[in-house]
Amino acid sequence: MGKVNIEIDGKKLVADVGSMIIEVADDADIYIPRFCYHKKLSVAANCRMCMVDVSNLPKAVPACATPVADGMVIQTQTPKAVDAQKSVMEFLLINHPLDCPVCDQGGECELQDLSVGYGEDVSRYVEGKRVVKDKDLGPLISTDMTRCIHCTRCVRFGQEIVGIREMGATGRGEHVEIGTYIESTMDSEVSANIIDLCPVGALTAKPSRYKARAWELRESPSIAAHDCLGSNVNVHHRRGEIIRVVPRENEAINEVWLSDRDRFSYQALTDGKRLLQPKIKKNGQWESCDWQTALNFAMTEMKRIIGASNGDNFGAIIGNNSTTEESYLAQKILRGLGCNNIDFRTRRRDFSADDKGNVRSGLNFPLQDLEHMDATLLVAGDLRHEQPLATLRVRKSTGFGKAMAINPFDGEYNFRLSHEIQPEPHLLANEFACVLSAVAAKKDDAISAEIKEWLSGVEHNKVHSEMADELIAGEQTCILLGVYAQEHPQAETINWLGEQVAKLTDSKWGYMTQGCNAAGNKLAGAVPNQSEVGGRATLGKNAKQMLNEGLKGYLIHNCEPDVESLWSEQALENFNNAECVIALTSYDDGRMLDYANVMLPIAGNFETSGTFINIEGIWQSFAAAVAAPGDVRPAWKILRVLGNLFELNGFDYESSIQIRDELREKYEVSGDKKVSRKMPEVLCSSEKFEAPRESLGLYRVDPMVRRAEALQKTPKASTHPISISRVKT
Amino acid sequence: MNKKLKQFLNSFLLIELLKGLAVTGRHMFSRKVTIQYPEEKTPQSPRFRGLHALRSYPNGEERCIACKLCEAVCPAAAITIEAGVRESDGSRRTTKYEIDLFKCIFCGFCEESCPVDSIVETRVFDYHFEEQGAQIMTKEKLLEIGLLHEEQLAKDIESDAKYR
Repeated sequence: MGKVNIEIDGKKLVADVGSMIIEVADDADIYIPRFCYHKKLSVAANCRMCMVDVSNLPKAVPACATPVADGMVIQTQTPKAVDAQKSVMEFLLINHPLDCPVCDQGGECELQDLSVGYGEDVSRYVEGKRVVKDKDLGPLISTDMTRCIHCTRCVRFGQEIVGIREMGATGRGEHVEIGTYIESTMDSEVSANIIDLCPVGALTAKPSRYKARAWELRESPSIAAHDCLGSNVNVHHRRGEIIRVVPRENEAINEVWLSDRDRFSYQALTDGKRLLQPKIKKNGQWESCDWQTALNFAMTEMKRIIGASNGDNFGAIIGNNSTTEESYLAQKILRGLGCNNIDFRTRRRDFSADDKGNVRSGLNFPLQDLEHMDATLLVAGDLRHEQPLATLRVRKSTGFGKAMAINPFDGEYNFRLSHEIQPEPHLLANEFACVLSAVAAKKDDAISAEIKEWLSGVEHNKVHSEMADELIAGEQTCILLGVYAQEHPQAETINWLGEQVAKLTDSKWGYMTQGCNAAGNKLAGAVPNQSEVGGRATLGKNAKQMLNEGLKGYLIHNCEPDVESLWSEQALENFNNAECVIALTSYDDGRMLDYANVMLPIAGNFETSGTFINIEGIWQSFAAAVAAPGDVRPAWKILRVLGNLFELNGFDYESSIQIRDELREKYEVSGDKKVSRKMPEVLCSSEKFEAPRESLGLYRVDPMVRRAEALQKTPKASTHPISISRVKT
Repeated sequence: MNKKLKQFLNSFLLIELLKGLAVTGRHMFSRKVTIQYPEEKTPQSPRFRGLHALRSYPNGEERCIACKLCEAVCPAAAITIEAGVRESDGSRRTTKYEIDLFKCIFCGFCEESCPVDSIVETRVFDYHFEEQGAQIMTKEKLLEIGLLHEEQLAKDIESDAKYR
């Protein structure tokens, strides 16, 4: 790309040809006021606030819509520029209400800030101001449309980033209104980003409405815990109470966005029914007790059951969203006691590759690359509802590249698919195998005899062939396996196919996982087949066996297998019949009250320190943003004390950082153990088996999300599992 | 010798005593400044900064809109506010408004910062607390004081309006 030399406010700068003045100024830390310009959105140039004085031009020009040219001399502070900006500000303030004291944006409002610099202290306008009716956008976003200055950032966000045009402008001139055309709520799973985008207080967060002012809030960085991307967030809290969660910019993961799920799930912690003290059930009645009593009770029961059965009759189910430290300590305790029944994969049917010591789980390429793909093949992936922010990247790539899908259900894509196959659920692997067959037909020389033989019965058609063409032709291509691929009874076959197709077509491949820390849990050893960092372990029972077989004792950590596992009914029955269920939970409600025997209150996300390892393998550690209420303690501390009570060695940690460092050291020694997948059995298309798509639903994925009130009120909370289960039959 | 004689005469003729009595006598007939508190009170400025009050509109609606500017401006951090959406009409209201009078330094910044003339300082300056914790003025107490002194407060604000 060519370069040009320009000068802004006397600073000599080198800029890319075609970039706009405001971009160059931003990079050089020269501030130009703006309302409609946003670096992630297209240029609208409708607020006219970014006027600058360019030499040789008779009038001031908008910096966001003026490309740089060689030798341009730009002034941002000359009377010409400032006069233009002041005039624009006067027009903007004509219809803007003077209600800053009751506005939630007050104190962090771009209009408020700029009106100090560019507004007049007394308005010349004496005529009546206009009033616009507020729109009801649902339980997440509250509106005060009179405050709107028509920057159209929210409109452009829907149109360009999400691909669903939910907001739009109707009317002309003074009658222009931003709204949803017809009365409807915002349904997209990333809708609340328009709250951050809105430069004024027209769109604000409903759950935190009127709760706090910007200057009262303290900000703590943290990591969101509801999908495997590990979005970076800032937690805003006041006097120990979380007020809101906003995205923290990280170009490699969440860019500047955040999904609604990650944004509003904090409500479970502030408004949910929290368990504030340890409780033991005595004669069917829950009794509060102190930590000592509760932990001793848990220890005695665990010792009794594990001792009596050589570890066979006790099992631990770890939540998908547990921190790596918690999983590590939990498995350390269990393995220390001689029990290998520990698992977090409560939504997996295929455990046939459990003897493979693969540590890595997830993507084998940077998430950021998703947006540069010439061709993306989605297999059983409902990205929009499982990893909402990953869809935004795939959507970006469809601007020039192609997206294809093999999905047994209607995935409600927000981008155009060039090819789509909707097989019956039990034929998912077969259809994928057809793609491999089509690739094999084109790359005959690169294929081994074994695979040829494996593919002998598989016939591909034109669509498969075209998919293969796209994958071969594209310079950068990828195969992305969705969460359902991992739930499928032939998950390992699908993974193997993904690997093979990727190898032959020179594509990248990876799979998405349920929950936010599947990679971390696996690495920490919370699986029955391997201890931490892929170390050897006697094969224990996996989640499916534990939940179906009915053990005498269970330890449930940060999850509700009776709701979120694939075997929820069996789990409930077996928990009810168990002699002892030890539950580490943050909440004092649900069916857990019936089946648990002791409940230990653990700190929720944002209240504990820890580490999440995202799908890409990035270790993201965070500190607690707020202190946990009551007698609630971070789970790693509870597990540490439990380890000490069992008199196991190596439980003298003083901080979660020590636990992480210990694991990290081991990981660095062992490295990524990549064991090649063995060839699966030949597929048989005639055999029909049950492979229902039991989607958890967008807002039912984990205990925290299920208790977030605002999310539960959204239309998606009730319709999503239904719409997603439109499995083709 | 001369000095000693002067000293003797001064003491013998009680001149110093008479000088002192003259001062007493002068003051006996001059204008009195002592105020017989509590029967009498000194005049107060309309800007007097006494006990706080929260004012209401004539229709009974509280003025405070929970903008929290007073809380932010308070140099002694004496004000604690919690806000939320009022159930009945969805308006922005305080759910808690407390002033700790032990912390308050009566600077009047809260009054100055208030955009709706809600928090004001009345002319009341003589009050006491009998129990621990009574120094914390709750929203109910403050509103009550506001109602009690509304007439005076309105007059004072009116008289000061042209200087604001």
